[in-house]
Amino acid sequence: MPVSTPATAVIVGSGIVGAATAYFLTQHGVKVTLLDAVAPAAEATGAADGAVSVASKRPGPMMTAALSGVALYRELAATGLFSDIFKSRSTFIVAASNEECEVLHAHAAALAGAGVRVELLAAADVRQRFSALSTQARLVVEVHDEGHAIGYQIVHRFLTAAGVTVRRASPVRSILTGDGRCAAGVVTQDGEIRADIVIVAAGNGSAELLRLENVLTPRKGQLLVTERAPALNASMPGSIMSGRYLLSKGSQKGGVTVPRGLGLVIDPLRTGQFLIGGTREDHGSRQTNDLDAVGRILRHAVALVPKLASVRLLRSFAGLRTAVVDGLPLVGRIPGYENAFVATGFEGDGICLGPVVGRALASLACGAEPAIDLRPFAPSRFADHGVVA
Amino acid sequence: MIEAQVLVIGAGPAGLAAAIEASRAGLAVTVVEQRETIGGAIYRQAVLGAPATYQPPAVRARWRRLVHDFAGCGITVRHGSVFLGIDGDGLAIVENRGTGHVEPVAAKAVIIAVGAIEKVLPRPGWNKAGVSTVGGLQIMMKETGRAPEGRILLAGSGPLLIAVAAQMARLGNAPVAVVEAGDPFRHPLTGGGLLAYPTLLAEALFYLKDVWLRGIPWLRATTVAGIEAGADGLVATLHDYTGTERRVAVDRIGLHDGIRPNDFGLSTPPGTSPVVVTAGDCREALGAVAAEADGRRAALSVIRLLQQREEVGTTAALRRERNAQGLLSELFAPVSARPLLSGLTDDTVLCRCENRTVGDLKALCGKEDPLSGREVKHNGRFAMGACQGRFCAENTARLMAELRQDAPAPSAVDLTGRRWPIRPVPIGALVCASDDTSKQE
Repeated sequence: MPVSTPATAVIVGSGIVGAATAYFLTQHGVKVTLLDAVAPAAEATGAADGAVSVASKRPGPMMTAALSGVALYRELAATGLFSDIFKSRSTFIVAASNEECEVLHAHAAALAGAGVRVELLAAADVRQRFSALSTQARLVVEVHDEGHAIGYQIVHRFLTAAGVTVRRASPVRSILTGDGRCAAGVVTQDGEIRADIVIVAAGNGSAELLRLENVLTPRKGQLLVTERAPALNASMPGSIMSGRYLLSKGSQKGGVTVPRGLGLVIDPLRTGQFLIGGTREDHGSRQTNDLDAVGRILRHAVALVPKLASVRLLRSFAGLRTAVVDGLPLVGRIPGYENAFVATGFEGDGICLGPVVGRALASLACGAEPAIDLRPFAPSRFADHGVVA
Repeated sequence: MIEAQVLVIGAGPAGLAAAIEASRAGLAVTVVEQRETIGGAIYRQAVLGAPATYQPPAVRARWRRLVHDFAGCGITVRHGSVFLGIDGDGLAIVENRGTGHVEPVAAKAVIIAVGAIEKVLPRPGWNKAGVSTVGGLQIMMKETGRAPEGRILLAGSGPLLIAVAAQMARLGNAPVAVVEAGDPFRHPLTGGGLLAYPTLLAEALFYLKDVWLRGIPWLRATTVAGIEAGADGLVATLHDYTGTERRVAVDRIGLHDGIRPNDFGLSTPPGTSPVVVTAGDCREALGAVAAEADGRRAALSVIRLLQQREEVGTTAALRRERNAQGLLSELFAPVSARPLLSGLTDDTVLCRCENRTVGDLKALCGKEDPLSGREVKHNGRFAMGACQGRFCAENTARLMAELRQDAPAPSAVDLTGRRWPIRPVPIGALVCASDDTSKQE
């Protein structure tokens, strides 16, 4: 473990995790060089649903981390850094079938048991609290104190606040090995960049760099944005998450996923628009959206919020999340190195967890105690999978 | 689900020529067209009872021949159908505005011929009510047979301004003036080059004679520097090449700074099916004659690509039109050497949908590290609105290039991306589309 704060760091990847880590390292007085194969927020961060949420989590390390993630957003909103880019709102989980009601009852109890403020709304309460919801909503659970943030805005804010410039179009070829168990920096197409510590937060790009092709896997998500619909938007007190999402996400079934899962989240944005998602697909290009998925998502959305039918769809887009085979992210020291770290594999939780993980990683790299428990996410659990060295 | 051997998008000259050529080669062709008539913008037809548009005989002859040939092919045209793009499964997505449903089309080949859009450079006040595009005014005239009412100023650059001035005059309301940034008379040698293109020259003279005979002021080497609201209507401030300023009070202003391909958001499917070819002005904006030639080229390309041979390249007819348009661009090049956009005041609106200004973009681009087009879109909301970048992406990219000459110049597509729907579409219409497939679940 480094005995003192490093003077310099090189960070590979300027998604939300890399940008957050850069920001917090700068706060520790570290001089940061931030590299990206393309540009800031060019991949998953720029195509995320933006949930800052514990609503879909089961008790366990991910829920614990997500609670800290939400708390940090609130803190940074209160202190000014995120004041105008974090939207505080509830998440309303909606069950429309017997199966979904059953799962949702159990899920609400689990959330409550973990100290999350939840409220069960019966049909009459729903009509009053959330008039835009259709009568198909049989059971609604309001998860309080959640929020929404747009990934690329968070990245932009972190980078601007840290005063860090990004070296765009700078893919990293390898980690430069120094003496003993030390990394000396990284190798790019333009040559070596030396630094006291190396941090890999390169999303799916981390796989090749760290030889984790068998550990990290891309998971496509398709998302939709509507035009502004201010009246409908203002009538929604929070986001809607279909109870089916709990089934689709596999978080109730121990990480079992189907090749193409369809969930539904409808988030009323600060602009008056709606963000509607999404899919979880093990195959597919991030360049494409298909009518089949878009039509199914929207059919489900209109079933729950009928007034959406008259709102126009403005854009579709897609991104590739980085998933880890065991469903937990990969955060911590890279096996074989004293001074090289990785933070990736957040799948659909990168926006929620990016800042809090960036802060924890900066602490770890500076020899301080991280504010969240990173042990469940330690890369050493895959040490036999050919992580570098 | 609709099935088609060849799907042609757009019934302007490129689409019609492509459909005719493909049909004559024995392929089954379906044409989708957003309007109720064929012809596109250039051959827009008048509503019943309205007088036909004042156009040179050669233009009318080209149209009659196209209509005749097209009618002889017995091709199905689906009117009221808006093309939304090609999805990741290779389906062409078409919104039927009649039924309010989205209709997926499975085609072996798709020829996209959706024409050009007008370029309009931002100027202070260009977003005020009463300001529209010159092409928009012309379309209205073609459809209704009536000139726009009131005192009209046409401004910008290019031969279209002259054509519309003549057409307005013929319909009884000549514009107050035509303001032209270039000055063709300064380039007599280039003008002489037009002698090699007699049809084009005849077309130019056909309209110019009306402008001269009726004494419509053609203010060359002059620009509209700003538009303000006046006591009754609008006041345009004109700057000529000597630096002289004058003000003109009018009711409406038409702006036009050329045309560019209407290729916003167009993507090709990831695989090899369907074969997708773009044709006409949406591939390269060279006008109606070139569009027809390019439509034929596209159809031949489709035939070859379906046989897994290579696409047909630029033809001699296309090269000729490209040269002619090149001459016109030189003739109408702006006389003032000032940068087009970076000299604009900070409060000049760049993106009308999201109300983003020149100053907003300058603030974003003033950082040490130059932002990419996509970052400017994300963090500045340029090209993010309902027009999906049609009116601002190119101007934003151009201003970025003027501001950051140290960075690679971004293009409009860096801001817009390539995604469907290329036009906003009601969610209800898409929901109907998926009903079809849901029955098979």
